[in-house]
Amino acid sequence: MFTNLQIDLEAIPNLEDVVLKPISKRYLNVILVNKILLFGALYTALFLGKWFADDVLFLDYFWYLFLVLSIFVIGNIVVSVLAFYKRKYAIREKDVIYSKGLLVHKLTTVPISRIQHIEESRSWLARQFQLASIKIFTAGESGSDLSIHGLPEDEAAYINDFLSSKVNGDS
Amino acid sequence: MVTADFSQPRRQSSKGILVIFGFKTFKFFKSFFVLFVAFGISIFQKKSFANFGIFNIVLIVIGLLLVILIISVLNYLNFKFYVKNEDFHLSTGILNKDNTIIPKSKIQNVYIKQNFLQQIINVVSVNIETAGDDKSEIEISALDKIQAKQLKELLFSKNKVSEGTQTETEDIEDDVFFRASLKRLFLEGISQNHLKSFLIIVSFIFGLYYEAKDYIKQLHIEEQFENSTIFNDEALFGLLVTNVVIALLFLFVSVLFSVVKTVVVNFNLEVVEHQKTVEINKGLFNKMSLSLTPSRIQNLEVKTNRIKRYFGLYRLSVKQAMVNKKQQKNFAIVALEKSQLDYLINRLLGAYDATTERQKPEFYYKRILWLKLSVLAVLLNIPAYFFLGTYFWAINIPLVLLMFTFVHYKYKKAYYLISEEHITIGSGFIDSVTNILEIHKIQSVRFQQTFFQKQQDIASIIVSTASKDVTIPYIKSAHAKTICNLLLYRVESQDRDWM
Repeated sequence: MFTNLQIDLEAIPNLEDVVLKPISKRYLNVILVNKILLFGALYTALFLGKWFADDVLFLDYFWYLFLVLSIFVIGNIVVSVLAFYKRKYAIREKDVIYSKGLLVHKLTTVPISRIQHIEESRSWLARQFQLASIKIFTAGESGSDLSIHGLPEDEAAYINDFLSSKVNGDS
Repeated sequence: MVTADFSQPRRQSSKGILVIFGFKTFKFFKSFFVLFVAFGISIFQKKSFANFGIFNIVLIVIGLLLVILIISVLNYLNFKFYVKNEDFHLSTGILNKDNTIIPKSKIQNVYIKQNFLQQIINVVSVNIETAGDDKSEIEISALDKIQAKQLKELLFSKNKVSEGTQTETEDIEDDVFFRASLKRLFLEGISQNHLKSFLIIVSFIFGLYYEAKDYIKQLHIEEQFENSTIFNDEALFGLLVTNVVIALLFLFVSVLFSVVKTVVVNFNLEVVEHQKTVEINKGLFNKMSLSLTPSRIQNLEVKTNRIKRYFGLYRLSVKQAMVNKKQQKNFAIVALEKSQLDYLINRLLGAYDATTERQKPEFYYKRILWLKLSVLAVLLNIPAYFFLGTYFWAINIPLVLLMFTFVHYKYKKAYYLISEEHITIGSGFIDSVTNILEIHKIQSVRFQQTFFQKQQDIASIIVSTASKDVTIPYIKSAHAKTICNLLLYRVESQDRDWM
């Protein structure tokens, strides 16, 4: 039977009504440790350069370079920390929602019926904080895939089971 | 017509040796191209290379060709395939033996292609594409045309049975729906965006120059060039004329390149309608036959421009899921008439309806375009200062005019339209590009907003299908949210498959 009812725009489910859940606070540690490792490497490279370089020009401008790098590092860390609080997720009956980004805010929704497979991964660092990531793959280009980092391990396992059973049940 | 027997392990047509040999030789010479240029120049200059005379070099080349020939023969002998119990079997490899088994149901596409060499010896190659990664593509490089068609049908036969009742009807209704005449192809080539061809040529020349830089240096071209141009007042006028001539030459070559490329690639373009699929046949040196399955089509892209519209020329590109990137660009039908285009769109998408009112992005889009271009313009002023000295500001006059036309047309051509079943997005500057996708094939929906857009209450939506992401740019965020809700509702409420 074919029906073609008019859709009442007010009545369909609204993305704004969804209460997004923030990811685990412990994930902030993971982000910060990663940043410290990265920037530590950059600073080390800079100082090694100072130690070994013979180039006078480089030595003259060394402290400017140092200043520029420091401003960049501080800015980057501040933005990362603020952006952390934008990382939120929700799972509805028919789709998965994930929002992130401070400067560029993105709210991605993947219908569960379009999920190809789900991957649960734990990096070494995340394991130290009992965290896990869920990666959701669709058939689209990489742009339509979705990964939620910084979930507590038990919750990640639960989401994985829930989505897997839904995906397999549908097909 | 003799039905070929594919149930027993068999080799390709014996002409396959030639094809494999041709491929391998071409590949070999291509990968050592620079080396050969070096050889050539050094022989040219000293009549010898690294103490080898010309005779020895010829011997070496013959030896290399012999080795390639032996490898080709071994390759041919070890290449066997057969179809048995709903599976396609293939064994290859000289030292490492590979056995590939593909269930018929996993075969996504079968293409028949014919390159120049294959045309001469009258064989075709059959490409079998499976779902999954790009590497799983299989090519049988030499088969008789009739056998290839039989193999294709055999590989698809099971799918038909499983899908429904029509099993034999497909062959009957082969109806050539569209055939592009040489004249229309020529017009298509002429009215193309020649800037693209120009860029291809320039990058090719630069690439060649870069690769062979060291060897060209040996020829002392630069010194000769410098000696022949002596600067004085008269020479300045000469220089100007030379530059104009060079520019005209480049323009001519670009146009010629566009036309030749269009004609060669699309020679004898044919669109054939089958029961379920639409088949494209085209090519002069590389003949190919591709089939489009409506259920697998994710995006359609229609391209035209002012001149083309005048001639009634439209180009339709089809983006299918599970097709590798290289193949994707071949799924284009050029030189269509408007009525044919409309018919094809309806055929491929099923009752395409674009009567809903077009909606425009907000004026914010214009502002962003201006902002981006201004940054570019400022950056362009810096090199201009070094070239033109104090008159550098003069470049801003044409630049501003160009920016103005760009922003005007870019905004004018941008629109979006959401109907019951489809999303249509228009864009383009010189070309008018129309992107169409079916709502039930959406894979994900993204609401995106930058920090600055948030102040203006503006947002964009990015809609992904299995083959492409499209953007509905810069609309009011409340409206964007409504659209997201609606699209998600449409996808999730109807239980339709995306493939």
